[in-house]
Amino acid sequence: MQAVELLPRDITVPPMLRDNRGAAVSIRNVTRSFEGNRVLSNLDLDVRPGEFLSIVGKSGCGKSTLLRLIAGLDQPSSGEVRIDDRPATQAGDKLRIMFQEPRLLPWANVADNVAVGLRQGPDPQAVTEALASVQLADKAGVWPALLSGGQRQRAALARALVSHPSLLVLDEPLGALDALTRLTMQNLIRDMHAKAGFTAILVTHDVAEAVALSDRVIVLGQGGILHHVEILRVGPTQRGSAELAAIEAEILDAIFAA
Amino acid sequence: MSLTETLIAARSRRSPGLRGLLPRPDALLPYAVPAAILILWEIAGASGVISDTVMPRPSTILATAVQMTLSGELFTHLGVSALRALAGLVVGGGIGFILGVSNGVSRLSETLTDSTLQMVRNIPHLALIPLVILWFGIGEGAKLFLVALGVFFPIYLNTLHGIRNIDPQLIEMGRAYGMTPTQQFRRIVLPGALPSIFVGLRYGLGIMWLTLIVAETLSASSGLGYMAMKAREFMVLDVVVLSILLYAALGKLADSLTRALERRALKWSPAYAGR
Repeated sequence: MQAVELLPRDITVPPMLRDNRGAAVSIRNVTRSFEGNRVLSNLDLDVRPGEFLSIVGKSGCGKSTLLRLIAGLDQPSSGEVRIDDRPATQAGDKLRIMFQEPRLLPWANVADNVAVGLRQGPDPQAVTEALASVQLADKAGVWPALLSGGQRQRAALARALVSHPSLLVLDEPLGALDALTRLTMQNLIRDMHAKAGFTAILVTHDVAEAVALSDRVIVLGQGGILHHVEILRVGPTQRGSAELAAIEAEILDAIFAA
Repeated sequence: MSLTETLIAARSRRSPGLRGLLPRPDALLPYAVPAAILILWEIAGASGVISDTVMPRPSTILATAVQMTLSGELFTHLGVSALRALAGLVVGGGIGFILGVSNGVSRLSETLTDSTLQMVRNIPHLALIPLVILWFGIGEGAKLFLVALGVFFPIYLNTLHGIRNIDPQLIEMGRAYGMTPTQQFRRIVLPGALPSIFVGLRYGLGIMWLTLIVAETLSASSGLGYMAMKAREFMVLDVVVLSILLYAALGKLADSLTRALERRALKWSPAYAGR
């Protein structure tokens, strides 16, 4: 029986050799408190252009807060987040976010929902291409209510990527999907990242997912970064391989040590 | 397969040519009860169980309707009433919609106006009739004012409710995807509030007829309410019953129009899919 290859082949291209469109993210001395409660404390982090970074940690460790700061949906109490040397709030459509829920407009068909990602007016060509890239070309005229959970998240991915962003921020976008759909979506995201070369920052509570997708995983806790793991991929890596399992164990240890 | 479906299938097999001409039996089902009532009523009248001086028969009323239609009298009154209803709906509904939207999106606007509106809402608007007659006399102004006031509240409340219940996650998405406040309103807030606005419109239409009829019955020189009151004075019972039936027909017509509009505007909603 032939082994099912779950990861695309071209991920062996190192980030620095990819089409260099990824944005650099720099987080300097960022603190975010909610009513006196410090969730993030003097945090420093650099994300390289084109890198796929995953943020893991126990729930309540501040990973979603950090992601919202990067996405410009929230402001740090002190410190700053810069994307390509400009404040995160000015990133415009260089920055796209995928939420845990698809957040499609129920009253717009799939194509119109994807077009939400285009700021400079409708562009049917770009929408068609984006839909084809997530295998939803035949669903362009369909209402979101008629899509499956996985198809909705794929439509949301097409909406995020239609403007060719240089930074994609993902807030547990696969958390609500069933196990098999998750694997398909992980491959799709990894594939799109490999092809388009944007910088990706993923928040997830699934360590296996983080390891399968990322170039680097950070463990967040106690207001800061507890652990860094670089994942160098040489040759096609199989999900469940001994190397990846070892990395997964290392990350889980770091999470539980906190 | 239910019995009805079996029957339809059997019939369409026998004569496929008739299928497009005859309405499907299940489409006629809602009219079965009113039809049965009419038939029983006619029989009761014809056999003398119900006296014509208490309740004229459907056939008598139909004859009156035909005669009044031919003389043009019926349409004059109908037209006047419909125009009053429409004017009240546009004015009251328009103000209700605008205030609902502004109170839905602006905290300041709501703080300023909502408690006042809630106080006014608790006055039955028909209780204002004596005051309204003193202000406006018995002219068109009085009727327009009452209908507009009656229609205002359901549309205001439901528009406000619809806007309040927009999924904040969608608004956040719109913001994150660079929509301006105007775009957020046009593409997220308004379509999201539409189902609720339609509920308000359907409530409003009911109140619109009620108010108009009461206003026309009290003081008017034309319109359906006036037609009914004049007929009462002269003891012309068939005209009285005819005007009551016309209210029912007009109410149903307005509701059907709104539902058709609703089905069209909300075809994205799973609640309307495939209907």
